[in-house]
Amino acid sequence: MTGGGKTFDAVLHILDRQVLDVDKLPVTAVDDIELSDLPEGPFPDGTPAPVITNLVAGAVLATRMFGGRPPSSRLKRIAWRHVAELGTVLRLNIHGEDLDLLWTERWVHRHIIGRIPGGSHDPQ
Amino acid sequence: MILSDLLGRDVLDGTGAKVGKVTDARFVLDGLPASEASLAQARLYGFLVNPRFHRASYLGYERRGLTAPWPIGRLERWWSRGTFLVLWEDVAGIGDDGVRLRPGYTRRSPVLP
Amino acid sequence: MKKLLGLALGILTAIGGFVDIGDLVTNAVVGSRFGLGLVWVTLLGIVGICLFAQMSGRVAAVSGRTTFEIIRERLGPRASASNLAASFLINLMTLTAEVGGIALTLQLASSVHYLAWVPVAAVAVWLVVWRVKFKILENVAGLLGLTLIVFAVALFMLNPDWPQLAGQAAAPTVPEGEEPATYWYYAVALFGAAMTPYEVFFFSSGAVEEKWTVKDLNQSRVNVLVGFPLGGLLSIAIAGCAAVVLLPAQIGVTSLSQVVLPVAQAGGKLALAFVLVGILAATFGAALETTLSSGYTLAQYFGWSWGKFRRPVQAARFHLTMIVGLLIGVAVLMTGVDPVQVTEYSVVFSAIALPLTYIPILIIANDPEYMGERVNGRTTNLLGTVFLVVILAAAVAAVPLMIVTGAGS
Repeated sequence: MTGGGKTFDAVLHILDRQVLDVDKLPVTAVDDIELSDLPEGPFPDGTPAPVITNLVAGAVLATRMFGGRPPSSRLKRIAWRHVAELGTVLRLNIHGEDLDLLWTERWVHRHIIGRIPGGSHDPQ
Repeated sequence: MILSDLLGRDVLDGTGAKVGKVTDARFVLDGLPASEASLAQARLYGFLVNPRFHRASYLGYERRGLTAPWPIGRLERWWSRGTFLVLWEDVAGIGDDGVRLRPGYTRRSPVLP
Repeated sequence: MKKLLGLALGILTAIGGFVDIGDLVTNAVVGSRFGLGLVWVTLLGIVGICLFAQMSGRVAAVSGRTTFEIIRERLGPRASASNLAASFLINLMTLTAEVGGIALTLQLASSVHYLAWVPVAAVAVWLVVWRVKFKILENVAGLLGLTLIVFAVALFMLNPDWPQLAGQAAAPTVPEGEEPATYWYYAVALFGAAMTPYEVFFFSSGAVEEKWTVKDLNQSRVNVLVGFPLGGLLSIAIAGCAAVVLLPAQIGVTSLSQVVLPVAQAGGKLALAFVLVGILAATFGAALETTLSSGYTLAQYFGWSWGKFRRPVQAARFHLTMIVGLLIGVAVLMTGVDPVQVTEYSVVFSAIALPLTYIPILIIANDPEYMGERVNGRTTNLLGTVFLVVILAAAVAAVPLMIVTGAGS
């Protein structure tokens, strides 16, 4: 899947949208996006434009609302190369299990919900 | 750099005069995809700048030719009037004072293709 | 034939599912104080909820996006977070009230104190949410709720002075001894009870749970446009019963026993049994809906995995949210707070939260990127806009009226 030169506006078309993994399992909402680094100081003519490197989620949502920004090490990322499709949702080409940012879901699954009888069965 | 670092930044013209704030960033999917299953790389195409309205816009009526439902559409269009697009080529630098534009930059229509 | 059955089932479920503890209590209170003088508000609320439930269902069927996802996308994180906080809190209040309603009904039926029933009710609600399929859960609660028709039957058996009732409804006046502010306070409460936001959260999420597509739109339209108004008639019958029995006797509604009093008077023990089953089903059904809604809203805002169509372990945080919500409800009830009062407050606070929920629905329903050709028509938009004005007015007026009237007392 490529993109065919499609144009989109980040706030309008990506931020706060739902991200689904390759099995359509919801992963997160897009809390922010990360761009490749820019040169310091004035840009010489012909400076290549930055590209989107990652979708970002987690603590950055709070700082988007209240200001400030979390340290780069605390950003939870999904690499842009794992994005397969851009529509009213963003589809990934990988499984949510492979993503670090789902650790809270896994923790709740393992320590709470998975321990209650019937939790791993289909509803009847 | 994350997008929130750019949204709401001042935009300055060649003389250093303030012309507005960044309300959104436009990207174009024209890079090489990282793999067959990936989307093309998304390159920063330009910034949407609004001289008055100082917050990120989540509705975008003015960029998509939408008006319905009245009066929300009308209000939002009026609210975001004057929005223009500056291309990346017209950006001279991004620093603590904001996004600096090159002298003789062009204000383009914000409408999405 | 199967199609027809499905249609009938859908309509019956919508009727039975329309009334919850908020409608029961508010309509009885209003009937006992203002007769049918506020029926116009119930009618207005029915049109409003039909309009927006149908719109949110259409958006969900066409785009697959539920109401709270849309709220976040169109309002941005900050405004939608305030909506989330308000909606979640109101939803918790409603959930508390519904669980309290179940317990109170069981107390009426068993004469065991309701506080003993509260944990039982909460566990029962949780078990259903944990293990029972969405479709079954929705249909059973809705169908049992149909027994509330006994209110309409009771109204006929009470043999009221129909012209007088019609007069109250057609030419509303503020009765002697009531302040105009109190009248308007209850108008806002009734409107909030009919249009509670959890109904659209539940409705749009339900569309995704049941995997609706464009093909299901006609059926959903019939369910809503026939089922909800008939459900609304039950609300009016509740107010009518109170107007006929409680208003002349000057009995104020402070507990559930006054709500059912007219039915018992009209139809004796059998009718009372019916009405208790009905209230139990209605509150239980609404407890399920509000419990699920607490999970839906939070999960959809943050983009977590959710849904009854998944195993609980595949939607762990969603299920944890619902468990915590129920525990909070139980804890609140255990302090001995009066569930009927919680109900009365919850419907008024609902009115305050309405605009931030209904505005994004109207916006997305007009967005071709989500809806393709199925964007709203002119009539729907005109109605939607008119309702937004009403909703905004109710939201703005709610708190001042609450203060001026001392919450209606």
